Amino acid sequence: MENQPLPKLRTLTGIFFRAGSLTFGGGNATTAALQRELVSTRGWLTDTDFALCYAVSRITPGTNLLAFCTAAGWRLRRGLGALAALLASSVPGAAIVVLLARGYEAWHTNPLVLTALHGALAAAVGIVLASSWLLLHPYLAATTWVRMSVITGMSFVLAGFLGFSPIQVLGLAALTGCIWRGTTRGTAR
Amino acid sequence: MNVVILNLLLLKATITSFSGLSSLPMVRHDLVVDRQWLNDRQLNAAVVVGQSSPGPFGLYIVAVGYFAAGLPGALAGWLALVTPAALVIPLLRYAARRAADPRIKCVLQAVIAASAGLTLSICVPLARDAITGPLPAVLIIVSTLLLALTRVETLLVILFAAAVSMLALLR
Repeated sequence: MENQPLPKLRTLTGIFFRAGSLTFGGGNATTAALQRELVSTRGWLTDTDFALCYAVSRITPGTNLLAFCTAAGWRLRRGLGALAALLASSVPGAAIVVLLARGYEAWHTNPLVLTALHGALAAAVGIVLASSWLLLHPYLAATTWVRMSVITGMSFVLAGFLGFSPIQVLGLAALTGCIWRGTTRGTAR
Repeated sequence: MNVVILNLLLLKATITSFSGLSSLPMVRHDLVVDRQWLNDRQLNAAVVVGQSSPGPFGLYIVAVGYFAAGLPGALAGWLALVTPAALVIPLLRYAARRAADPRIKCVLQAVIAASAGLTLSICVPLARDAITGPLPAVLIIVSTLLLALTRVETLLVILFAAAVSMLALLR
């Protein structure tokens, strides 16, 4: 990357804008689209750069995809690149969300729309259930599954039935992770 | 409603979570249970809206802000969504050294497991609101299996569930 000229800020913004406004399917789909563009097509990032940005974005609080875009933008054009990538990847989707939310408010009393929404709301529960599984699944290796399952189960009970707040649950989990270390082999890619 | 407080509450939720929807338990705790600025139906609708848009799943926070306080609320939600991303830069600088520490790895794994448990715990009230008969219950199971086991796009699952519900009504 050191021998290459800096990518133009406008081009970089355009790439993240396209990824943020045209890619459905959440962070993994958008990250895959950006990998094609930034690594395979343009060669702006090496595989190692990409892997580093991806790994660090996974351990950054908040939305992983936005952290990834900020990291990639920072690797390419430092502060300005990070800001451009963050804005371009979040503003289009946010604008579409506001339009859809307005549409929901306007139409949610229509009987047919209401019925469709009931179906969509059921799908939303499925989305939440599946996201929980997808979050946990990469960490369920032979050496870690007992610890991960116990912490998941305990968190479920503490938050769902014993009234613990999410911050209390996360704090207890971090403490448990510190004490019950086991092995870290088999962690997520 | 104070939009600054809304922003801070949403920021608390996003900055203590490690993926798009894992902030949902905190949002529900603060906005639905504690302050009653939203109800479960609106929170569920915000998830649907967020999932129906391109970009990250965490965008549902913008819809939460919108349902709570209109356009200023949406802006508060967007700010809460993008602010934690700035943390990636100092983390990136020291990534190699920190990521290699097994103790840090264990703590991060535990936090991820807890996030999964927290996410599961909010399915109970959301499902209670969504299950109005046998069909939504079946749709929940089918959606979960499709999304967990296949690479089908989330938007297609939402459209499929909506279409099945409408067909059942028209029949």
